[in-house]
Amino acid sequence: GVTPLGPTPLQKEHQMQFQMMEAAYYHLPQPMDTEKLQTYFHRAPVLTPSHYPQAQMPIYDTVEFYQRLSTETLFFVFYYMEGSKAQYLAAKALKKQSWRFHTKYMMWFQRHEEPKIINDDYEQGTYIYFDYEKWSQRKKEGFTFEYKYLEDKELN
Amino acid sequence: DRYLSGASHYIHSGMHHSCDTDDPPGLQEKTEFLLKDWVALYTQQNQQSTRDARNFGAFVQKMNTYGILKTDDLITRFFRQATHICTDVVYRMFAEPSLPINQAKNKIFQWIDAFVHLIAMLVRHSGEAGNPTTKINLLNKVLGIVLGTLIKDHEMRGVSFQQVGYHRFFMMLFMELCTADVILESLMHSIVSAFAYTYHLLNPSVAPGFCFAWLELISHRVFLGRILVQIPGQKGWPLYAQLLQDLFKYLAPFLRNTELGKPVQLLYKGTLRVLLVLLHDFPEFLCDYHFGFCDTIPPNCVQMRNIILSAFPRNMRLPDPFTPNLKVDMLSDSSNAPKVLSSYIMNIQPANFKKDLDSYLKARAPVTFLSELRGHLQVTSEPGTRYNMALMNALVMYVGTQAIALIRNKNFVPNTSNIAHSAHMDIFQNLAVDLDTEGRYLFLNAIANQLRYPNSHTHYFSCAVLHLFAEANSEAIQEQITRVLLERLIVNRPHPWGLLITFIELIKNPIYKFWDHDFVHCAPEITKLFESVARSCLAKSNV
Repeated sequence: GVTPLGPTPLQKEHQMQFQMMEAAYYHLPQPMDTEKLQTYFHRAPVLTPSHYPQAQMPIYDTVEFYQRLSTETLFFVFYYMEGSKAQYLAAKALKKQSWRFHTKYMMWFQRHEEPKIINDDYEQGTYIYFDYEKWSQRKKEGFTFEYKYLEDKELN
Repeated sequence: DRYLSGASHYIHSGMHHSCDTDDPPGLQEKTEFLLKDWVALYTQQNQQSTRDARNFGAFVQKMNTYGILKTDDLITRFFRQATHICTDVVYRMFAEPSLPINQAKNKIFQWIDAFVHLIAMLVRHSGEAGNPTTKINLLNKVLGIVLGTLIKDHEMRGVSFQQVGYHRFFMMLFMELCTADVILESLMHSIVSAFAYTYHLLNPSVAPGFCFAWLELISHRVFLGRILVQIPGQKGWPLYAQLLQDLFKYLAPFLRNTELGKPVQLLYKGTLRVLLVLLHDFPEFLCDYHFGFCDTIPPNCVQMRNIILSAFPRNMRLPDPFTPNLKVDMLSDSSNAPKVLSSYIMNIQPANFKKDLDSYLKARAPVTFLSELRGHLQVTSEPGTRYNMALMNALVMYVGTQAIALIRNKNFVPNTSNIAHSAHMDIFQNLAVDLDTEGRYLFLNAIANQLRYPNSHTHYFSCAVLHLFAEANSEAIQEQITRVLLERLIVNRPHPWGLLITFIELIKNPIYKFWDHDFVHCAPEITKLFESVARSCLAKSNV
């Protein structure tokens, strides 16, 4: 059978261990317990129907996939999933689409046309930028993008 | 000892300090004030700013002004007070009836994360450049303090103990110390050893109320990566093997009795998952430590043991066991001995017995050695716990490896005939005949534990068990051999290669007259079972 050597009664020590384990069973560790504190999203695991996807597909973890997402989705990931791999991949995809991050305004800019002026310190012209407070893309004419605010770290 | 002795000294000293209550007046208030200040700095601004040496420098200055950094003793007391403050926050937040659990946790984590960050910064910056000892001593001391606090808390609060704060503490501190940083990376071995030793002292037998968090800590992807891959020279392997042993040891009494309450089931399932990760990513680790693991895992945990025994080195190609006329002794791998990283010979006790064993293996005398064997192995007369399983396993392994060495010295390859008529086979045959059902079951299990990937042990023990079957003087022995092999095959995959090879040989080779035995036909469901196993084993090999 399942106990070929026959059962031996649990000792008192093991019964105590079981009680402590049983108590722990009612407040098991949750995924959020060992993750960075999230400002916007808290994990709240719920049971979903089994016909609904239960796990992320592996391709969601590639930069190619992020390049297929809309810019708005990428901005959402960037601003609301801080410190995650998703944020990193979103930034990478945005850069590939010629968006540049302004470290002072904390917003993404894209040239609307060839800049009117380009020198060693800045460029000036019309830009599209994403305003995370209004949550929309806006146009700015005659904007000076100082290169010292350009986030130009190589994302490998 | 597998752990650095200096490290364990500081951990133990920290644990000792965790119970100390003889603080100078005002220290508690000072600690609370400082910690609060740091939590605010950490929470309001972002980590980047506290990582900034200037902000950290200013805070250290403040600690200095409060006299905390005057002596090592005061620093230790500061950490202890801070640990207690964090523990209090946990129970206070959970006691708030109006606070949803996630919000309570958020508040708790703000304190713990900030505290952890402070520790990491202090460890990173303590002592002079180029002198890692101060850093590591500090880390060990803090780990000891938190460990001591946890154990006391667990003991005092009993079933109302909360693991979440401690779980967060250990996980986050480890992650902080794993950030890309030249100084911390140079200390990796010491850092991982410090955590491994702490987790060992904190194992589920010591703090069962922490067991689920503990399993999460030891199976966390970053911890696994560091301890098994990133420490050079596989120096982390014995540390990790010890942690798995701790887990198996804790589970053993519950699994042995199949006392599978829900918490045990969950912990068991988690254990299987960890083993599957190890089987997939680090099979060599399971290979090297299989012996010690099999000593601890109860005999009835067939699948758990199969996972460990199925591991084989990644560079090896195993021939399909169903290949017709597969000649195991012709495989070049069959002459290589596997690594066994367990000092099993130490388990052959007492020393006199080992001496007698060696002289019997040499002289094949006196015969009394054989008749006294059973007495050495049997430790109680209580059914179910009659035998010393670790001694049985060690004895079987030792005799087997000695036999292989002897045959190899004569330039032979072990086979079913040249392993016979030797002192070694005398011992095995005597055990098969002289032991009762329980003893024989453990004996045959000890042999079956060596039926793994192609190597000299697998090959020898496969021949040995087939020889015992052929030469058995009673059908009971043959039935039990069949049982031990079969019960390891009728469970779900994985199945060890050597086990399959041996069983296929047994049912296929006519010299064993397997199908003529009564036990094969004792009940219709057994007959059916054999037929179905045979179909799956033989059908393929006849193609």
